[in-house]
Order: sequence, then structure tokens, then C-alpha cells
Amino acid sequence: MSKKMYRYFGGFLQAQQNWLNKMARRGYRLVSVGKLLYEFEECPPDSVQYQVDFIGGKSKRSAQDYAHFLEDVGYKVFYKNFNLNYSIGKVRYRPWAEKGGRIATNATTFNRELLIVEKESDGKPFALHTDPEDKIQYYKSLRNPWFTIFALLALLALLDKSLWLGLCALLPLIPVLLYQRQIWRIKRENV
Amino acid sequence: MRDNAKGGALTEVTFFILLALYTPRHGYAIMQFVEQKTGGRLTLGAGTLYGALTSLEKKGWIAPCGGTGGRKKEYTITPQGRTAAETELLRLKALTQIAETILGGTQS
Repeated sequence: MSKKMYRYFGGFLQAQQNWLNKMARRGYRLVSVGKLLYEFEECPPDSVQYQVDFIGGKSKRSAQDYAHFLEDVGYKVFYKNFNLNYSIGKVRYRPWAEKGGRIATNATTFNRELLIVEKESDGKPFALHTDPEDKIQYYKSLRNPWFTIFALLALLALLDKSLWLGLCALLPLIPVLLYQRQIWRIKRENV
Repeated sequence: MRDNAKGGALTEVTFFILLALYTPRHGYAIMQFVEQKTGGRLTLGAGTLYGALTSLEKKGWIAPCGGTGGRKKEYTITPQGRTAAETELLRLKALTQIAETILGGTQS
């Protein structure tokens, strides 16, 4: 029996991951995903585990290469959107992305910013990023898009001398600080 | 990977990957190799491994090798990679020698 559920997690990667793992504990594994739709099928409880990985900074080629690598390791991957954007001819500039990934279109990396990675449980914990240096890199790739939004809004607020825009600029600063705190924590633990 | 940043030492992850690739292996086999050789002390996440393989490939220390049969991508160590691993072994030997001359006497 398949089960369809509608959810939107946006930038809350951890919440999405926790929810998928909760579903897996209750005996549902993912079959397919849409922008809002998650389709599950029944499975023995705890037979799979999930990780949600941010790949929005990668180019189309390196994102695909990474996804293939994960499949080779034996995981199942689903591409997932970060934003809720239904535009068709979308072209977006991503100054924070790696070379080759800075122009995101519907045909390349737009609406494919996340990877949901599924592993068959083998009794061991499931983590994709284990090395402190790699973790720092990963958190930076999550922090930088938010920082770009903050910087743009702050610049607009200054040009406009608008208090309202200035307050708006503080919102993306929240995820920036949360990810930065993670980076500092890892650095502190590994000096 | 910040290898060679400080006095030429390799990170543990890098050294283990180089050692694993003296025989051609694909991603999952490298993860298993590291876990077995360290008795589970060091586990390598697939994301971290991917990053490490990409940067080692860029450095020319490892190279993808012909997909004979299966479609899984295998990697193998290059001559430059062997040199790097041998240099690291010499460095570690020198280090353990110093450690033994200092600690050796204090242990029974």
C-alpha cells in the first residue's frame, strides 16, 4: 500500500531528515518525491535510514557525479527542491556556488538543491560527512547562500536607508549564525 | 584535505585511502577497508570519501581505472601517490623511532 503525504521543509534540512527517519521507523520507505509530495511504501520498521544532503553549491556535472557515487556505494538517492518555485524558464545566478554551477536553470541544478539519501540499515549509524574538515566545508556550503541573501538585503537597506529592509536583512542572518556556530564548534573540538 | 599544509604530514583519511588503493577499489570497498583495518575506530562517510577522492584525483595521486565488467567506478593509486605514501611511511617511522627512544625506557 502506498501512502502519499504533503510536506514542505524548505531550509530545515534536519527537520526533513528527522521526519523521513521517523517514517522509516514506523515502516514507511520513500518511493518518490515531488515538490511537496512524498510517496511511501510499506516496509519492515527500521529497515532504512535517511540523510538529507545539500548540493546546491555544486555544478550539474559534479552533482550528478556525486549522486552516482552514492548509488555505487549502495545508497538510493532522490533529488529534492529547496525552494518552492514552479517557474519553468528559471535562470538564477548563484555567486556562492562552485565553478560551473553559478548559473542555475531548470535544466541544470535549479530545484535540485538537496539529495535525500537512503541506506539499508545495517545496525551502524548513517552519516555522510565524518571528517572535521569535510564537515566544515559542508556547513560553509550551507551558510554561504544565506550570507549572500543577507549581504544583498543589507546593501539594499543601506542604499535605500530603509529600516524595514534592514530588519528583513536580519532574518537570513539567523541561519548564517546557526551554521557558523557549527563551524566554530567543529574547529574548537579539533584544534 | 589539507595535506602537506604542515610539515608534509598526510591526514589519516588520506593515508588510508592511498593504502586502500594499492589494489583497485570502488567507493564502498574503500569504506570497508578503512573500517576493517582500524577495527571500526575510523569510519568514513560517503560524502567525506567523495570529497577526498575528488581532491586526490585532482592532485594526481589516484586515478580512476578501467571499468572492467561492472559499472562501478574504481580507483587506483598513481606513481605520484605511491611516492606520497612512501614519504609518509618514512615520516611516521622517524616519528615512532623518536617516540620509542623517549618512551621505550619507561615501559617494561
